[in-house]
Amino acid sequence: MSCLHTVNRSPDSKLLESCLRVINADDAILFIEDGVYHCASKISLQAIVETVKVYGLREDMLARATLSTALDRVEPVDTSRFVELCSEHDKVVSWF
Amino acid sequence: MKFSIVIYAAPYSSESAATALRFARSLIEQGHELYRLFFFGDGVHNASKLTVVAQDEINLQQQWSELIEQHDIDSVICVSSALRRGVLDQTEADRHELGSASAYESSEVAGLGQLIDATLHSDRVVNFG
Amino acid sequence: MTENANTAKPAKSRITFISRSAPYGNNRANLCLDMALASAVFEQDVNYVFLDDGVYQLLKGQDAAAIQSKTLGNALETLALYGIENVYADQQSLKKRGINRAELLPGMQLIDSDAVAKLIESADTVFNL
Repeated sequence: MSCLHTVNRSPDSKLLESCLRVINADDAILFIEDGVYHCASKISLQAIVETVKVYGLREDMLARATLSTALDRVEPVDTSRFVELCSEHDKVVSWF
Repeated sequence: MKFSIVIYAAPYSSESAATALRFARSLIEQGHELYRLFFFGDGVHNASKLTVVAQDEINLQQQWSELIEQHDIDSVICVSSALRRGVLDQTEADRHELGSASAYESSEVAGLGQLIDATLHSDRVVNFG
Repeated sequence: MTENANTAKPAKSRITFISRSAPYGNNRANLCLDMALASAVFEQDVNYVFLDDGVYQLLKGQDAAAIQSKTLGNALETLALYGIENVYADQQSLKKRGINRAELLPGMQLIDSDAVAKLIESADTVFNL
């Protein structure tokens, strides 16, 4: 049973921290909306266990000029891939 | 795959309602089924039809309604959230003697039972807030 | 609730509610409670977890009359009457906020982060607000 977690707030909030405290090793995180600012943050990404896949919503990264600064660990995905990720995982937990 | 979407956020105040709309469109384009849209809390404002936006901006409420009608989506506005925020269909407006309806007819005003039903009958429930 | 005869889905699902917001300042705690109560009324398998600022909802001695609100703590004390018996408070969230067990409403089970992770993993649907 693996789970896709969406996180929509910037590193200044403690939202990612809350998510990481209860995440399982085979889960994945998708940063959306203001959450995409995590994609360029070494501190944020280092806090995520290596087995957890990390995605960023491409449209939100484009809008915020963070697509080019995103670190290698992050795979940018568009909304249609967001939908696919939801079906590939057993459930979706939204952190907002 | 069957999806249901729950929207807690009002349009314009945050990006979430717009994200949810793009997500809904995309899943339908991919041939998935949208079993139900459920507007809850401030999310009920997405069904408000008494809105005017600047010409160079998108009217989220109108776009929701068009999507719902175009694909015959089962769309529910939570009754307890909607009444206190003034988002009323004609039935509720008549019942409470408030004159005209303010909600798009494409959505139905109903209770939380519809959300529980959605969790039972959907493969995935995705929340936006 | 809508009857849907053409489905093989079970009539019961496991729903985990994670309530992460303090009471009164916004309506998230109430939305979460309303969803949990509706789930119980429709006889779903409910787990109710208080995490982060959500643990502030569990303090004894709340009196919201002073702010013209309903006292949320009173409602939370009646969860068992609705058949919601799996009610959990996250120990780390309590500790971080300097709240000890004696200050909490009765009936709360204290659990650690790993147990919260398991309640998420074992659920069919998670509502997290």
